[in-house]
Amino acid sequence: MPQSPDPKRHWRSLEELADTPHFRAFLEAEFPAADDPGGVSRRRWLQLMGASLALASVGGCYWEQRELLPAVDQPVDRLPGKPLHFATALDVAGAVQGLMVTSHDGRPIKIEGNGAHPLSLGATDAFAQASILSLYDPDRTRRVVRSADGRAPQSSTWDEFERFAREHFGALRDRGGEGLAVLAGASASPTLAAQRAGFLAAFPQARWYEYEPLSRDEEIAGARLVTGGALRTQLDLARARAVLTLDADLFAEHPAALRYARDFARSREVAGGRTSRLYAVEPTYTITGMAADHRLALRAAQVASFAQLLEWEVARLAGLAAADGADDSPAEDPEAPPAPPYDAAVAQLVRAAARDLWEHRGESVVAAGPRQPAAVHAAVHRLNAMLRNVGETVHYTEEPEGARPAHHEALAALVEALRGGTVETLLILGSNPLYNAPADLDFAAAFEQAKVRIHASLYRDETGRRCHWHLPEAHFLESWGDARSFDGTYSLVQPLIEPLFGGRTAIELLALLRGEAVPRPRELVRATFASIAGEVAPEELDLQALWRRTLHDGLLAGSAYPRQLPGLLAPHRPQPPPPTELDRGLPAGGEMELVFCRDRSVFDGRFANNGWLQETPDPLTKITWDNAALLSPATAAALGVEADTRVRLSYQGREVEMPVYILPGQAAGSVALPLGYGRTAAGTVGGDAEAGVPPVGANAYRLRTSEALAFGSGLTLVPTGTPYRLATTQDHHAIDTVGLRGRARRLGELIREAPLDEYLAHPDFARHVVHHPPLKSLWEEWSYEEGHRWGMSIDLSKCIGCNACVVACTAENNVPVVGRERVLMGREMHWIRVDRYFQGDPEEPAAACQPLTCHHCENAPCEQVCPVAATVHSREGLNDMVYNRCVGTRYCAINCPYKVRRFNYFHYFGDLDQPGNEVANMAFNPEVTVRGRGVMEKCTFCVQRIQNARIEARNRRRPLADGDIRTACQQACPAEAIEFGDLNDPASRVRTAHNDDRAYGMLAELNVKPRTAYLARIRNPNPELSDASDEHDRHPA
Amino acid sequence: MSTTGIRPEDTMSDDPRRRAPLVTGSPTFSTVTEVICRVAEAPKTPLAWYVAMVVSGAFAGLFLVLTGHLLVTGVGVWGNNAPVYWAFDITNFVFWVGIGHAGTLISAVLFILRQKWRTSINRLAEAMTVFAVMVAGLFPAIHIGRVWVVYWLLPYPNQMGIWPNFRSPLLWDVVAVTGYATVSALFWYVGMIPDLATLRDRARHRIRRLVLGAAALGWRGSARQWQHYEKAYLLLAAVATPLVVSVHSVVSFDFAVSIIPGWHTTIFPVYFVAGAIFSGLAMVITLLIPARAFLGLEDLVTIRHFDNINKVILATSLMVGYAYGIEVFSAWYGGGHYEQFAFLNRAYGPYWWAFWTMVVCNVAVPQLFWLRVFRTQVWLMLPVVLLVNVGMWFERFVIIVTSLSRDYLPSAWRPFTPTWVDFGMLLGSFGVFFFLFLLFLRFLPIVAMAEMKTILPGSDGHGEVGQAKHE
Amino acid sequence: MGEAIFPRWIDKARPLLGAGLVLAPVYLVAVAYYGGSPRTTTVGYMPQQSIPFSHALHAGELGIDCRYCHTTVETAAHAAIPSTATCMNCHEQIGATAESLRPLRESAATGEPIRWIRVHDLPDFVFFDHSAHVARGVSCVSCHGRVDRMEEVYHVETLSMSWCLDCHRNPEPHLRPLDQVTVLDWVPTEDPEVLGARLRPDLNIDPSTDCSTCHR
Repeated sequence: MPQSPDPKRHWRSLEELADTPHFRAFLEAEFPAADDPGGVSRRRWLQLMGASLALASVGGCYWEQRELLPAVDQPVDRLPGKPLHFATALDVAGAVQGLMVTSHDGRPIKIEGNGAHPLSLGATDAFAQASILSLYDPDRTRRVVRSADGRAPQSSTWDEFERFAREHFGALRDRGGEGLAVLAGASASPTLAAQRAGFLAAFPQARWYEYEPLSRDEEIAGARLVTGGALRTQLDLARARAVLTLDADLFAEHPAALRYARDFARSREVAGGRTSRLYAVEPTYTITGMAADHRLALRAAQVASFAQLLEWEVARLAGLAAADGADDSPAEDPEAPPAPPYDAAVAQLVRAAARDLWEHRGESVVAAGPRQPAAVHAAVHRLNAMLRNVGETVHYTEEPEGARPAHHEALAALVEALRGGTVETLLILGSNPLYNAPADLDFAAAFEQAKVRIHASLYRDETGRRCHWHLPEAHFLESWGDARSFDGTYSLVQPLIEPLFGGRTAIELLALLRGEAVPRPRELVRATFASIAGEVAPEELDLQALWRRTLHDGLLAGSAYPRQLPGLLAPHRPQPPPPTELDRGLPAGGEMELVFCRDRSVFDGRFANNGWLQETPDPLTKITWDNAALLSPATAAALGVEADTRVRLSYQGREVEMPVYILPGQAAGSVALPLGYGRTAAGTVGGDAEAGVPPVGANAYRLRTSEALAFGSGLTLVPTGTPYRLATTQDHHAIDTVGLRGRARRLGELIREAPLDEYLAHPDFARHVVHHPPLKSLWEEWSYEEGHRWGMSIDLSKCIGCNACVVACTAENNVPVVGRERVLMGREMHWIRVDRYFQGDPEEPAAACQPLTCHHCENAPCEQVCPVAATVHSREGLNDMVYNRCVGTRYCAINCPYKVRRFNYFHYFGDLDQPGNEVANMAFNPEVTVRGRGVMEKCTFCVQRIQNARIEARNRRRPLADGDIRTACQQACPAEAIEFGDLNDPASRVRTAHNDDRAYGMLAELNVKPRTAYLARIRNPNPELSDASDEHDRHPA
Repeated sequence: MSTTGIRPEDTMSDDPRRRAPLVTGSPTFSTVTEVICRVAEAPKTPLAWYVAMVVSGAFAGLFLVLTGHLLVTGVGVWGNNAPVYWAFDITNFVFWVGIGHAGTLISAVLFILRQKWRTSINRLAEAMTVFAVMVAGLFPAIHIGRVWVVYWLLPYPNQMGIWPNFRSPLLWDVVAVTGYATVSALFWYVGMIPDLATLRDRARHRIRRLVLGAAALGWRGSARQWQHYEKAYLLLAAVATPLVVSVHSVVSFDFAVSIIPGWHTTIFPVYFVAGAIFSGLAMVITLLIPARAFLGLEDLVTIRHFDNINKVILATSLMVGYAYGIEVFSAWYGGGHYEQFAFLNRAYGPYWWAFWTMVVCNVAVPQLFWLRVFRTQVWLMLPVVLLVNVGMWFERFVIIVTSLSRDYLPSAWRPFTPTWVDFGMLLGSFGVFFFLFLLFLRFLPIVAMAEMKTILPGSDGHGEVGQAKHE
Repeated sequence: MGEAIFPRWIDKARPLLGAGLVLAPVYLVAVAYYGGSPRTTTVGYMPQQSIPFSHALHAGELGIDCRYCHTTVETAAHAAIPSTATCMNCHEQIGATAESLRPLRESAATGEPIRWIRVHDLPDFVFFDHSAHVARGVSCVSCHGRVDRMEEVYHVETLSMSWCLDCHRNPEPHLRPLDQVTVLDWVPTEDPEVLGARLRPDLNIDPSTDCSTCHR
């Protein structure tokens, strides 16, 4: 393996070693952490067990001889063992996040948000956090695969493919690309766009189709309806005082979700007295719904009528305000036609919301989600205009995707062409239509028409397995590229590691097919960069410097799209919808509505092979490793469906069988189906028919047709009665009355909440929820007045329960993935979990979520009972967990009132010792011990970050500053709900949080003295409605 | 033998003017020796013994295999989960330690209280104790995650420069249980020395003689030896007596010291000790009935013995029942709603069946012992004591599993479902116990011969031995 | 039958027996303890390296500073092993043909790293940071001994946990001025305790014995 000493390629050595037998030795030498706490790998523990009984003090000294493999030529800019950070960007189906990736000795091991990026502001979502695991996923395509018709697929090489391409595409080029079709997913990469243009120039006859199963087409269409132009809506939630969402999950599913979550959290600051209010109208519970002050469950189809009614209400207020000129006094208008009798809850909410929005005109926002048809989006644009939000809280920029046809239309067109036999060469870039195309198109059949099918993707998926050529695509951490985020901010994508499996990017591939001998992706990106820089910063002369700065900062300053002020087309006379359309009862004739959802764990299915995401419990249902048809309790009762059983869903003659989950707050008569499961060619995690790995969950795409891409009516649901246990991490099967009463009794003490007015009346209400006698400790207590005093605070008003923290923690702390069976056994390992509770009427419940980590109690019950002192307190108040001392009595976990300790019932990383898993081993964070079997583990407040920051500071003879140390969960949190720092530092953010009136210690009455303070959640109900949603009655659903 | 001489009913007489005899029939020193040695010396072993050995041996084997499986695979082979980190493992441990209590109670406490009737049964009870404690000791050892470093629980100087955590009840546990095991084993063995000598002297085969000779430590039965022996035995009894109270108190600290609602209560030590004696005596009866029948000990182990033990069982049952009541009362009176919930949840939560099994078996059923007929009729008392054994296992199950499965945070609540390995090892532990016990029955003096002779009517020197006195 | 009863002389053997019973466990413990202690198992460990590199020559006679090869000791957790290139700086000329240096030349030619055998190898659950010590006045000698006198590097200290704790509990005797850290033969002119006490504040030494200091 000769290697050129090229400092710019410094990650080479590792990549070269990746498949050699020495690699393990190398890992152990350079990254000591990649072994288990006993310092004893699985292969060795038996012999050691025997030996160590006799030799007490040996404990893993020279059981094996290890080698040190110094680099042949150590690049000057790098120190072994010192992490480096590189800015890059992640583009998931066209939605872009700016990232800052931590690289350890050439291995990217952790992803953080890029603080400078306007849409991430240092935060990330769960997908970005987990994408690091996909990089090291051994199931990724490792080589070019060729399968001629009728013959078994055989592994091939890029050279072979290039030879084939030269000849085949040469011929095509002569024919002007006739019979060539390209199918690609959505992308926000200008370079790819440029390549596409170049490609189509080279093959004028070729057709390019873009398809995403989940797209924003309706949004674009809606904007066109009212403005005639292709416009993109940019919200400014930081300034909004009243927000109403129509089936829109702004904080989780919107391309700018991270930014919106942050802005919303900021707008919830009770201190400023400008607390915003959020109304959510949606068919199924979403993250945004959880954060809402008022939530109304409506079937997806009814949302349009609701929008219409709202528009009518607002119009009345606006109209008569205009009439009597006095803008700020909306009074009832005697002439205005009285509203017809609507469903009480709907009428109440719509009027209250309308007034609220109107009163805050110019400071309010109405938003609709991608699931809703263009008409609703149009209504939303009109509403925002009426409310004078445009230019204030609602801005418009150009819609770069405006020109393209709707995704499903594009796919339909492709199928048409395929059927017509006009496509003989089909090139598929990344997409997986055989899995996620609308069922009615019968893509699989049409697909066979193409004589030459080429598929480039990370995985050899459902589509890849039916193609003649399958080409490994490079992971974004292995690629040169670029991306423009939702607001237009331009970021560069730079490789942190050489492609582990020789993958290439779509950019490279297109260039190759266009006939470029040796595509140089960096140069191609550089070219696009030059042109964009030319537009954005024409005055900048030193392009090289700008390029370097952009690489370093992760974005090109000032590259956001310019704002526009469009005029509305036709004036619109709103009419109230017939009341029947807003009836919230079950639809007659048992004709259910089905609503397709983007899954919060596997997106549209593309993350199905990611163990971290599969094991992350859904924020609402708490389901791991599965999807389920979501029904409201009433609907389930009406249909005679029981929890933990399977049902048969049939829609337009298509059938799918899947388990049900009874989700309080699901709209009556509406069944939500998360997409992205039932993969048969995802890999050994997500399901692989060839390898005999059953799929995870059921494939809802089988019910999805072109005319019901988002939702549709006419679903019939038949209980099969087959019992099926979903692997949930909370609320295991039907809970008995005693349990319900017990939970109800304590809920108010655990999660403390108050409506804004009550808070303003008694700011310290949270402190008075629990009264207890003075607390006396049995032991003489340690004083933490000296030195540091690490503590955490979690603001329940800000937390939206998005799970980013959970995955971030998993990535940072080498938390094992245990799989469905073991989650069913109750052995999930997450160090931080987000508890979710429902309160109030099961059909219209309020949801609350509460992240829970180790509280590092100053008077820790776990420490007192450990017989071997494997968990003890540091002088700075950390509850240290010493894996290598732990013998596994589990007594500490028993005595933990928060139940945040996790026990390794098995050797979860055992298989990683086996040869062939070297690559999977690379995902480990070398700063954290990989725990072996039989030891307890738990949140350490990211002690490795504390120690490294401290050593750094001490070496430089400077004190630690607030913010030097950020825990993984804190760093990932888009809402800034988590603060961490030194409680002895009066200026630290965590100290101020602890001093806040809302701060309370959960279960502090046990005298455990938790170091984590929760800040009580302040809801901001509309006074007009507050009786409707009484915060104080807490019947858990 | 019991056709002539002392009749069984004589042993039951409560006539204050004369002490009721402790044996029936017309036993002489020699007949006593004969009766007892017959078992150990029988040239051919009865078939029943082989059958019993095969059955218990099979279960003991199962236990060993499953333990191997556990050690190789991990504690995960059990149903333990989060939050139920302890389940069958510790339940079995406490159950067996409890059984182990009767032995010391009978041999030490009754010895010091000069309860001569203990003599006929103390050897058996002590053997039971030793084996029960052995079985019990296995569970804490194998239930930990990394068995191969179990010795870290012992305080010994090491290169890590750290000691175990002396604040941990588990550490106290280690001390208490090992101490108890040592003392009761010692007590058992010392008591056996003269009888081993007797067997030695009667042994015909040379090897047998040498083995027994070594075991008898050269016992001659000289007055001097007897004098030392009595003193030593008395001292051991004095040492063992406090252990009866201490061991299970310490075991109860494992729970009482924690903060789990339903565990964190001061009544545990008393309650556990009473429960332990309760279950231990029940087990004594369970073993005594078949042993007596099969080994023809009717004359030495009389109805009076059963009667006495059953009275103690009745008393301890009342104590246990009282403890159950007080627990609930103090939960209610204490006003802590977590505590209150814990007890509501025991009685009406998902594990209500376990709770009510416990109450019925441990409190209701033993009340039958108010009736003399139940105390004195073997076939009536057997089902009662069997149910008590069941009930006491469930008591530990209820305390451990129901409390853990629902503690403070509802989000962390989770039911416990045992795996087949759990059941296998529960049954297996009985296998191991009975396997050892059968070995004891076959090869060792099952009743303290030497001591028996001191309680034979007339062994005080008045009148000839073997001739029951009638007025 | 008399044979089964112990003969008279047993009484004489009794004290021996007693002594035996007492001493045997003591003996066993002693064997296990000393046999197992790192002092026995670790100290003196000297594996055969693929290149007979002599620290005595380089660091001793030639007086090359430790940091010339182990570049990262002051800034990183790992004390980097010099890259082939570093060695070649000199050995392109010096001993360019020496048989003993063949592996070095091969490495330079093929790009295959030289395979050194690790001498000082802490268990994987221990996170030791060179910079935290070297940059703060703890000399190489304290842990590695007089490497400048070793032909082949061997283990001098036990590197056991209690050994670490000794110094963390009482660092003074092991502190020296920063410029003397890599001077292995440096001897303090005054009582190390006193010197250490004086240096401690400005070296900002506050060693903790918290578990998480080394175990994460």
